[in-house]
Amino acid sequence: MKKIYLSIVVLSIVFFSGCSDEFLDVDQTESISTQDVELFNNDAGAATFVTAIYSKFLDFNMSSFSWNGVSSIASDDADKGSSPGDTGSDKDVMDALTYNPSSLSITEIFSANYEGINRCNQALNVIPQLDKADATLRARLMGEAKFLRAFMYFTLVKTYGGVPIIDRLPNPSSQEDRVMQLTRKSKEEVYAFIEKDLNDAIEVLFEKSQYSSSERGRASKGAAYALLAKVNLYQKNWQKVVDNCNLVTGYSIVPDYASMFRLAGENGPESIFEIQGVGSIPIKGIQNYSVSQGARGAGGWGWGFNTPSESLLNAYEVGDVRKNATIIFAGTTLYDGRVVPTTVENPRYNYKAYSSAIPDADQSDTNIRYLRYAEVLLMKAEALNELNQTSVAIPLLNQIRLRAGLGNTTAVSQADVRIAIWKERRVELAFEHDRFFDVVRTGQAVAAFAIHGKTFVAGKHEVFPLPQLFINETAGLSSQNPGY
Amino acid sequence: MRNIIFSFLALLLLPAYMSGQVIKGKVVDKEGLGIPGAIIIATESKTSADTDFDGNFNINAKIGEVLKISMLGFEAISITAADGVMNITLSDSKDTELKEVIIIGYGSRKKIDNTSAITSLRAEEVSKMKVLNASQAIQGKAAGVQVISSDLPGAAPSVIIRGLGTALGGRTPLYIVDGMPTENINNINTNDITAYEILKDASSLAIYGTRAANGVIIITTKQGRGNKIAVEIETFAGFRAPLRTVKMAGSNKYSHYSNAALQTTTFSQDQPVNTDWFDAITRTGTYAQNNISVSGSSETVKYFFSVGNYEEKAVLNGLDFSRTTFRTNNEFKISKKLTVSQNLSFGSSNSTPKPLDAFTNAYKQSPIIPVRFPNGEYGVPFVGGDGFAGVAGSSFNNVGNPVAQLDYFNEQQRSITLQGGLKLDYDILDSLKFTSQFNGEYYSWKNYNFEDSKRIFETNNNPGRLSSIVYPADRNINVLTKGRNQYFNWNLSNYLTYNKVFASVHDIEITAGTETSVRGPREELRVVRRNVNENSNYWSLAGVDYGATVLNFNDAVFNESRLLSYFGRFQYKLMDKYLVTGTLRRDGSSNFGKDFRWGTFPALGLGWIITKENFMADVKSVNLLKLRGSWGKLGNQNVPLNNQAYSVAGLTSYLGGSILLDGTTVNSQIDPSLSWEVTEEASIGLDFELLNSRLKGSFDVYDKTTNNVILNTRPLITSGISSASPAHVGEVSNRGYEAALRWDDQINDNLSYWVGGNFSSNKNELTGLINATLAPVIGGDLANGQFTKILDNTSVGQPLGSFFMYEYAGFDPSTGEKLYLNAAGNAVTQDVLNANTDKKYVGSILPTSNYGVTLGVIYKNIDFSVDGYGTAGAKVYNGKKAQRFTGENVEDSLATNFWTANNTTAANPAPFNQVPVASTFYLESGDFFRVNNISLGYKIPLEGMFINACRIYVNAINPFITQRFSGFSPELNGDGNPYGSQGIELNAYPALRSIVVGANLKF
Repeated sequence: MKKIYLSIVVLSIVFFSGCSDEFLDVDQTESISTQDVELFNNDAGAATFVTAIYSKFLDFNMSSFSWNGVSSIASDDADKGSSPGDTGSDKDVMDALTYNPSSLSITEIFSANYEGINRCNQALNVIPQLDKADATLRARLMGEAKFLRAFMYFTLVKTYGGVPIIDRLPNPSSQEDRVMQLTRKSKEEVYAFIEKDLNDAIEVLFEKSQYSSSERGRASKGAAYALLAKVNLYQKNWQKVVDNCNLVTGYSIVPDYASMFRLAGENGPESIFEIQGVGSIPIKGIQNYSVSQGARGAGGWGWGFNTPSESLLNAYEVGDVRKNATIIFAGTTLYDGRVVPTTVENPRYNYKAYSSAIPDADQSDTNIRYLRYAEVLLMKAEALNELNQTSVAIPLLNQIRLRAGLGNTTAVSQADVRIAIWKERRVELAFEHDRFFDVVRTGQAVAAFAIHGKTFVAGKHEVFPLPQLFINETAGLSSQNPGY
Repeated sequence: MRNIIFSFLALLLLPAYMSGQVIKGKVVDKEGLGIPGAIIIATESKTSADTDFDGNFNINAKIGEVLKISMLGFEAISITAADGVMNITLSDSKDTELKEVIIIGYGSRKKIDNTSAITSLRAEEVSKMKVLNASQAIQGKAAGVQVISSDLPGAAPSVIIRGLGTALGGRTPLYIVDGMPTENINNINTNDITAYEILKDASSLAIYGTRAANGVIIITTKQGRGNKIAVEIETFAGFRAPLRTVKMAGSNKYSHYSNAALQTTTFSQDQPVNTDWFDAITRTGTYAQNNISVSGSSETVKYFFSVGNYEEKAVLNGLDFSRTTFRTNNEFKISKKLTVSQNLSFGSSNSTPKPLDAFTNAYKQSPIIPVRFPNGEYGVPFVGGDGFAGVAGSSFNNVGNPVAQLDYFNEQQRSITLQGGLKLDYDILDSLKFTSQFNGEYYSWKNYNFEDSKRIFETNNNPGRLSSIVYPADRNINVLTKGRNQYFNWNLSNYLTYNKVFASVHDIEITAGTETSVRGPREELRVVRRNVNENSNYWSLAGVDYGATVLNFNDAVFNESRLLSYFGRFQYKLMDKYLVTGTLRRDGSSNFGKDFRWGTFPALGLGWIITKENFMADVKSVNLLKLRGSWGKLGNQNVPLNNQAYSVAGLTSYLGGSILLDGTTVNSQIDPSLSWEVTEEASIGLDFELLNSRLKGSFDVYDKTTNNVILNTRPLITSGISSASPAHVGEVSNRGYEAALRWDDQINDNLSYWVGGNFSSNKNELTGLINATLAPVIGGDLANGQFTKILDNTSVGQPLGSFFMYEYAGFDPSTGEKLYLNAAGNAVTQDVLNANTDKKYVGSILPTSNYGVTLGVIYKNIDFSVDGYGTAGAKVYNGKKAQRFTGENVEDSLATNFWTANNTTAANPAPFNQVPVASTFYLESGDFFRVNNISLGYKIPLEGMFINACRIYVNAINPFITQRFSGFSPELNGDGNPYGSQGIELNAYPALRSIVVGANLKF
């Protein structure tokens, strides 16, 4: 008996000292450990790392309320909308250009894009390790990640000017990586980085037509050329704009402008790159994108923000079909038969964000159209005009006007054509998150905002302030934009 | 085998049989019960023996020789050995300290020989307070222990021992129930507890190493004793009602105030309805508890068996709670050397929870609305053109009907906790004992929650049954959520205890052992289904595939956590007056990375019993004076998981087709070097007994620092990592002192009394941060966009749980608008405040001191006692008051005295409709003193009857409170999180006053 107990003691001591560390190795059950990367070492597994990047574009902080605040409400195309007392956190100050480095919209767009960039870097880090996945697929997925990273840096550089370039997964304990994360690069360096990513992507991406019908939303070679052309446009590299626009092939202008912004028109022949929202079960759409812009008040269905401004309304020529395709007017009937009563709180709402099937749902079936062939034609026209080929530019502009139900442009001189193209961009691309950056790019901002009844301070409002959170973190490594 | 051992033992004991003869006897206490373990020494024969389980002994000695008999807690005596069976009665030791044995980790110790700060509470003190949870019963009874209780049935109180040392998970003390480490004691019947020991300082805690940083509470349940079967019945029943209520404005005052706020005449000033919503959602609570226990012992078996049942109909309508407990504790003396003990407890609780925001809704809802309209529909906030509430009209607030809310809320929870253990004690040698103990705990929980979505919509939107308002056909008619949780934890410890006195002055006890603890994976299943059958008995039909109606399905197995430990303790006593305790524990935890999982936790305790010194021998008025000191390091492993994981949830996207694709990324940064939080503590204490031990007390001072507090740090914003990462970043200090004093006196045989009290003071401070960007912990959510607490890098120098908000600066006499101080010191209105610069730290939810008092008298068969508890220095936030938005009710005091153009010096600002910013306007003092318990009992004299003893009693629990807080109760445990709803009265269950009548019978 005694021996038994002594043996227990001895055995237990031997047991515990012998395999103690093994005993303490516990397999994770609540989440998949990053040590089990092998689980993803196949075609489908590799693809998930890129899907997560696309998924970022569906997040509230990335593409929805704050993004409307920065890219739309701040511009002369839109007003805050909604009830006078509902500020939407900061949409009143976004509208009035009185935002500050702590404004929510400004903070969210910064962090959301870096969250997306992290997902790109994670994909670019892990996919090369997944050697059991198809090599062509892996190369293409890497290309998609680079396209999306370029897309997000383009958003950042347009919004904030030069920003830190995070081109790899930072090691939290590396001082060098810490400096990388906290130091602004110049605007030019960011543009160079974007161009490099896009050129890498172009090498490996498929053409849109090469994707299966269920994957038309992926980044394509055409999308990369179109984005590269737009990046060139922002840097006034006119010849490159023309060259890259010429490489965007396989697309065409659809006859009915309004149809593009409805469910049936998604990913159509004109579409180059869209963010995909799907309203059928399981629902996965852009969080609150439709409902936040839906009509508010009795008979409405949404929060009523980001409403078309008087200035935009006045920009449409008589007979422009795009006006009624872009703006919901109170007291009218929509294409699907929905009656918008006059009791709603604002006179106008954004039609391009409207979801017919589920207008009041948190996530709707609405897509965001980021790159369309129409814009490629307008970019090419603008560049050709700047390259003194005004006569070649005019037919491109007219192609867009014709589809809108308008006659040919009356502009002839280079200067007039330039103005005409800019104006055409405004009405063609209204509420497609382009206007604010476009008026800054083209130098029209001060005048445009004066018409809109807001004061745009030259030398300050070209870029938004960097978030105060970021400035606090940098401890002097980066400085705030002038005027903030 | 057995024979061999016996022969071996016989050989060992052979010398003892060689002289004299066998003297037999029995040692009993004054009640005639056998005293086991008493030591008998034959002075001439140099032999010794112990009494067995029943007090019997055999010793080889000569008749006429002097036998010395001693036993802990009794006066030692010398007696002449006699022929025949000697009957020896020991009287209780006068030295009360000597009498007491306290439980320390992995053993017990005479209180006087203990070098550490342990508060030991006996059964009577814990069970006197008629509450469900034992932790609530100790409130105010132990110095240095703060208990934030809640009268919500089934709620676990927060227990903070010597200050809060950490901000993240793992704030609660470790409970050890009969050797089993566990997280809460909700399943323990207070009546089954025999002792409740609170380990407070490093010297006592270090034996529990990594889990000890927040203190340890050891609970020992009852054992059988005596030589006949004892049956005890305890039964009581009582009523409960809110201790304090808040007077709300009546209908006409409400209308007056709301019209002023809206600057309209929406509401008629002559209202036909005046609903008291608090009254409408509450009832007089009732509760009752019945316990029966059977216990006893024989030569070889001690047994204890109990069944208990608790039933409560809570003050909130529809909230019912019941708990049934069952326990058996048995000890079998298999041989002289081997004892096996077994315990098993079963606890089952059922409850029908109700949403506590009904209290907030009752506070906010307008009194002009009837509970039900004349058409039978629930009243809702629609006001008609006549200025009265009606079935149609315009909606004037967003508050639901709290009565409807409770009626529609349909949830049931059931849980079962099984705890059991097996313990072996084997005396290898007289001085060497081996103990092996295994304990397991199984927990299972299930619930359902049924939401009658369509009816709720109709109630809220269409009380007039208008045909134009139709519930959309594509929405869920109803939604049913079912959940299942379970886990199994186990613990195995093996240790040796060696105890020997050398040269009669060196008393040594050494304990050494190993322990394995496994906190099993929590398994969680949850399914949400739509459009289930109206009859709840048809929710789950056999053979039906519910796949198509499932809205959500979660199946999670949370990570298992394992702990492996080695521990040793050396206790040394020199000449009965100098005491040394050294403790070392080494723990390995699976929570940390391979190279950082082991931690070593040493502690040292010293004691000096001054009264045993010769120079004190003449000081008759001082019966005991003992100085204690200790130093040690303790760990806390309850930190968030530190393994890096792939994020897979919610990262899906369609990419142009109809297939939703899965997404994966990594959204965390980990610090692989994350390891134990280490708390270092030094403390000094003094115990004393004066004036014939009538005045007893102790005084302790401590300094406790957690050097590497783990907080969530936010990775740099450009890293794109949005989830915070735990890292060692902070230093938290707790410094304080605690004092306890008690006077006990017996005036004559009929009358005795006591008066006692304790006081503790603690200063809690976040003293530093290592270079890191803290992800701000923004807490104290008021659910209206306002937050009241923060923990970030500006919090250094503040106590944990600090409020962070704007400072109210009175109202503008010309407009009645509230003003706040901005950073520049100017009083401004809320729309121009800057959230980044204008907020201030304005105090913490943690009190700086708390105190308890007790007094009692026993006269003949009557006993009377009063206990009280109070805290000072805490702030509480009147969260429900800070909610007001358009059309909601206000307190009577506000509705009668507010700014108007004609009353610019009113006590309150002008009525407003904006959500008020979080400010000191709603921050109040949390100081209170409450009489926790008044108890009056009478022992019915029962001589020679079937019933041995019967005590009947009346208790008043929480009968009185003095508080400065204008809300219901300043004691606000909330979610138990200092950065959550703790200290905020919002959706809070009120403190209750209870009257209980009961009886205790012994057979």
